Amino acid sequence: MTRLIRTELLKLATMRLTYGLLAVAAALTALFSLLENNRAGTSGTGVPPTSIADGLRTVTTVTGFAMLIAAVLGSIVANGEFRHSTATLTYLATPRRARVLGAKAIAAVSVGAVFGLVAGIIATGVGLIFVAAHGDHVALSTSTLIADVAGAVVGAALLAALGVAVGSLVRSQLATVIGIFVWAIIIESIIGGLYTSVRPYLPCTAATTLAGAKLGNAAFGPAHGLNGGGPLPFAAAAALIAAIAAAVALIASRTTLRRDIT
Amino acid sequence: MAVIEVDGLTKRFDGLTVVDHVSFTVEQGSVVGFLGPNGAGKTTTLRMLLGLVTPSEGTAMINGCRYADLVDPLHVVGAALESSLAYPGRSARNHLRIAALASGAAPQRADEALGLVDLTGAADRRVGQFSLGMRQRLALATALLCDPEILILDEPANGLDPEGVHWLRALLRHLAEEGRTVLVSSHILAEVAQTVDSVVILDRGRLVTESSLADLTIRGTLVVQVRTPRAAELAELLAVQCATATVTGADRVEITGATSEQIGTLAAEHAIPIFETTTEAADLEDIFLRLTTNTTRTEVTP
Repeated sequence: MTRLIRTELLKLATMRLTYGLLAVAAALTALFSLLENNRAGTSGTGVPPTSIADGLRTVTTVTGFAMLIAAVLGSIVANGEFRHSTATLTYLATPRRARVLGAKAIAAVSVGAVFGLVAGIIATGVGLIFVAAHGDHVALSTSTLIADVAGAVVGAALLAALGVAVGSLVRSQLATVIGIFVWAIIIESIIGGLYTSVRPYLPCTAATTLAGAKLGNAAFGPAHGLNGGGPLPFAAAAALIAAIAAAVALIASRTTLRRDIT
Repeated sequence: MAVIEVDGLTKRFDGLTVVDHVSFTVEQGSVVGFLGPNGAGKTTTLRMLLGLVTPSEGTAMINGCRYADLVDPLHVVGAALESSLAYPGRSARNHLRIAALASGAAPQRADEALGLVDLTGAADRRVGQFSLGMRQRLALATALLCDPEILILDEPANGLDPEGVHWLRALLRHLAEEGRTVLVSSHILAEVAQTVDSVVILDRGRLVTESSLADLTIRGTLVVQVRTPRAAELAELLAVQCATATVTGADRVEITGATSEQIGTLAAEHAIPIFETTTEAADLEDIFLRLTTNTTRTEVTP
């Protein structure tokens, strides 16, 4: 199994797309933390200034988009093999397809964690730079800042695993990539906006709360900023996403994964 | 000893039978041509043999077990399939490094395999920039990576220029001399005729023949051209005798499966005048074409 995981990691390391997506995740995180920073303390936005804990935390926890990019990477790890017919060689070398799926999930978790780490460091860094520029006191404890970066690592890793599961279920790369964004930005937003009690259980929203985002800031789309309800405890949110990923992977292994490679 | 055993292998896609109860064996150390026109079901058969496509019926065994049950399969069977192409953004070397890691081969095998197919100079070029011929070579390098005893090559000559085909023949001959078992598919018999010991011929999903190359040559050697004013009538009589007769002109019939003596006697019995008979030896390509276009060719068209 180690050999298989190393193979999947080598595949990722030799794809320019991996680095491109990491750059996109880093750039989006920097952009959104700058935007949040501008909103912070501006009247009418409802975001407190970065000189107080709540305000600073809206800037340092905008790691959600990087997590979505990690999910996209995960899906490409799985169904990118069909776009370029490389699945043939993969399954010739390892005919046990479920083992390949497992190795892909573990490899995606590792790379997803890197995405989360990079995003967490960028968001925290941008927040701290602005705090320093204003000559403010850092209102968040070091342990909170570190815990939020660690949460971004866990959230991105888990969404990457979920991406692998979804990509194993749906062989079309384009459909999955569009599907991931539509789900996170539109569907979760609508469901979360209509039923605030369901909101903590939505996987992408739950992933962002792992990184310390308030539930109101956790959603990506129109429901962003809409308050109400509390996030799930860390372990519960992590377990929820892992369980959804495992369930989707199980369905994939019973259906799409068995299909012919032509 | 048979290293490949295909028994009653059948594949239906959406009610369409693509491979229809195909059975054949490949003996250890033999080089077998797997022939048939495009769409005959060759690739689907090979993909079922390699565990990529699930058969609707029948079994395909390698060394007595299913491909999926082989331990480190790439060390047993090397396969170069038409579409088993590499990710276009990867270099040839990285493609092979990945295959080596996945199959448990030593990392230096990647460079050795590139050397075997004369691709060393292009090792660091992106596969997306490769010509079709270079991709075929890379696919062969992937198949040879783990030094397997059995090679399954699907249309390896596709996209090769004449020089490339010549090179491929030399490589196949070399692999055969090393005692490897090779199953090589092609839609052109001439591509493999110089290398193979026997042939398995498929047409429209069905097995047409499984024989040694020598037997195949003997069986279909004689083609008799007959000139007669009652061409259609003679062709019909011959069809009843199980010979293959095709009316090729107003007064011409082309016959295989019967000697000129048999044809002359039959014509005399029915008082059909014969102006001319010529007997010629068909080449392998003609035999192949005759076998794979059997149903259309036996139709007696006036």
